[in-house]
Amino acid sequence: MTSSSSLCWPTPSGRPPTAALASIAVVLALLVWSAPHAEINIGRLFASLPAMVEFLSRIVVMPEWDYLPELAKKMLETIEMAFIATSIALALSVPIGFLAAGNTSPHPALFHAARALLSGMRALPELVWALVFVSAVGLGPLAGIMALALVTVGFMGKFFAESIEVVDPRAVEGVSAHGAGWLQLRTFAHLPQVLPDFIGSTMYVLDHNLRAATILGLVGAGGIGYDMVMAMRLFQYDRLLLIAASIYLVVTVLDRLSDRFRAKVI
Amino acid sequence: MTASARTPLPPKPFNPTPVWLSAWIVVLWLIVRDLDLSFATLAYGVEDMAEYFGRYHAPDFSDLPHYLSLMAQTIATALWGTLVALLFAVALAPFAARNLTPSSTAYRTSREMLNFMRAMPDLLLALIFVASLGLGPLPGVLALGIHTAGFLGKFFAESLERIDSGVVEAVRASGASHSQIVMYAGWPSILREALGYTLYVMDRNVRMASVLGLVGAGGIGLALHDTLRLFKYDESAALIAVILVVLLAFDYFSTWLRGKLK
Amino acid sequence: MASISINGVEKRFDNGFHALKGVSTEIAPGSFTVILGPSGAGKSTLLRLINGLETPTRGSLAVAGKPIDHANLRAIRGEVGMVFQHFNLVDRLSVVTNVLVGRLKTRSWLGSILYLFKREDMDIAHEALDRVGLVDKSWQRADRLSGGQQQRVGIARALAQQPRVILADEPVASLDPVTSEEIMQLLREICARDRITVLVNLHQIDLAKRFADRIIGLNAGKVVFDGTPAQLDRTALARVYQREGNQDDEQLQSVLAYA
Repeated sequence: MTSSSSLCWPTPSGRPPTAALASIAVVLALLVWSAPHAEINIGRLFASLPAMVEFLSRIVVMPEWDYLPELAKKMLETIEMAFIATSIALALSVPIGFLAAGNTSPHPALFHAARALLSGMRALPELVWALVFVSAVGLGPLAGIMALALVTVGFMGKFFAESIEVVDPRAVEGVSAHGAGWLQLRTFAHLPQVLPDFIGSTMYVLDHNLRAATILGLVGAGGIGYDMVMAMRLFQYDRLLLIAASIYLVVTVLDRLSDRFRAKVI
Repeated sequence: MTASARTPLPPKPFNPTPVWLSAWIVVLWLIVRDLDLSFATLAYGVEDMAEYFGRYHAPDFSDLPHYLSLMAQTIATALWGTLVALLFAVALAPFAARNLTPSSTAYRTSREMLNFMRAMPDLLLALIFVASLGLGPLPGVLALGIHTAGFLGKFFAESLERIDSGVVEAVRASGASHSQIVMYAGWPSILREALGYTLYVMDRNVRMASVLGLVGAGGIGLALHDTLRLFKYDESAALIAVILVVLLAFDYFSTWLRGKLK
Repeated sequence: MASISINGVEKRFDNGFHALKGVSTEIAPGSFTVILGPSGAGKSTLLRLINGLETPTRGSLAVAGKPIDHANLRAIRGEVGMVFQHFNLVDRLSVVTNVLVGRLKTRSWLGSILYLFKREDMDIAHEALDRVGLVDKSWQRADRLSGGQQQRVGIARALAQQPRVILADEPVASLDPVTSEEIMQLLREICARDRITVLVNLHQIDLAKRFADRIIGLNAGKVVFDGTPAQLDRTALARVYQREGNQDDEQLQSVLAYA
């Protein structure tokens, strides 16, 4: 008996389970098919390592401290965009969420319409909407806010609908047994139960929007992204370093805050 | 029953909700002033907007095969990006889960690494990789991979932390090593959750890969950018339609697959 | 040589709880010992110390003459099988794989990552499942079994380690009386046939009296009784289950009257 045949997997046949093998094969096939499309080339990757190291060494320069006030202003704008877009999305998502939840929607047709609307809203990335809105309302944060709000209604509405659908039906029956109407039922039976979930989703979306707002400037839709791209294009690495550090700082702080906040609420 | 016989209600606790709500509204108002947002122009602009969106009415699909090949490149970029993310996340998550980490130094280091990857916007990473690797989807793959590795690693670590501590202890009590505890008590317990998260990240990466072209990192984004710049509304409409259909299909597919996993 | 020796062990947790206040005893090889005591007396802590899942604040422990310290922790754990109140099986793995967890101590890093086992390990697992009468459930997922069956898998996992000692932390607390009886018989039989030292934490006085060679009574972190089941009379039991600052406990008296 060879050493390899004395080994086996813990299955009746001693061979790896068929389902696992099949899914690995499917994933591998997909990767192999897509490798040329994605121009995966390990050789190129390694060949460019020196270039990458060289580039990184160029980035590590003395930051341009004079840029700080301007940076603070742009960063504040970014945060404000994320905050206002999340607020708008919140206001729109709550009613749409109730329409898009199977157990609270007044009519199946409305349910399907709301679901389709939400899918459509979140299908396109923020940047594509931002491109469109910049063309429509001009450069500036307004286009960015509209893009962010539109896409995040798609996400928030879906999250809300999913939370509403897992509400304990007994509490709802309890309230409806006392003769509550449609809107009363929604406000007194559903809303209190889903509130922690709603707050969790909102924090998540705020986090997402802040990250998205940092890049919308790329297409001129406001925020720090424009300075970031310009610094890169003009080789102002002293500026780029500061921008990257400030994004890291702000995103990390919000990340920690929202983790703590969610742990407290849920 | 008379009112005097009743136990009096305890004093009503202070409800801070109205305070928070008004603070929120004040902040919103301040922001609107600071950003000089004029929603009035938005209202006036509704008509203009309708006219503007009307320009997209006739999508021009004559170049469809080209668009589809760009979309294939987009999906391929997302797929490989997700693979890169998965490799990083699987390697780092067991160290970043409090119940499985071998030491507090490993925990801190891996958490900070994941946090850093998550904090760097993928578009910034793409800019950097395009500068050092040249144009094409490969920098996109790396940018998506590194950024979403931060998310995936955090999700995995949080799932691992929710495993029943008794199961981890039972495997540890049999004399298993750190990697054995991770392989036998860790991953099998969260397999479904982890697949769900991976699908979710894949979904997100397809979305993101379709705009990475804006910075030269391959995919359909660059074509859209160019046609919009040149006011070719017909071609833009066709490109948006292609992106929309593919992303919607992907959304439904991954929702379906996640439903099957439950 | 004693199978387990415990020398002046104290355990104080980070939250200040003083679980063990100086315990010293020796457990003979191949013996069946039951530890009784009220909740919070330190029974679980004592078992966890013997497996190295906790480290003592003061004092030392040794298994088969080998002191438990950081360097040989995994080796000691390999010789000490553990059975839990809530079974603690990996739900999504098959019954066989759960039992094979007991063989991980012999497997290489790469082999265990690929879920590869030696045929001889498979044979050991098969035999362990045969001992607990669950061979027909081998390929089922662990969470599809009933509580009693899951506890048998837990025992098979401990057996697959081919240990010197099996520690059972309230193994029947989540089971019905008939299943409890079966599990205790199984543990007793393992002790008798394989000469494995068995140490069991229990809340059931009657089971302790019927199955144990020796009973140790713990109260508030101290040994308050140590003897044969026959020696465990009402006064001894009163000492074991006495609650702090409550010398004239009516509840205790009425419970003991039925014990």
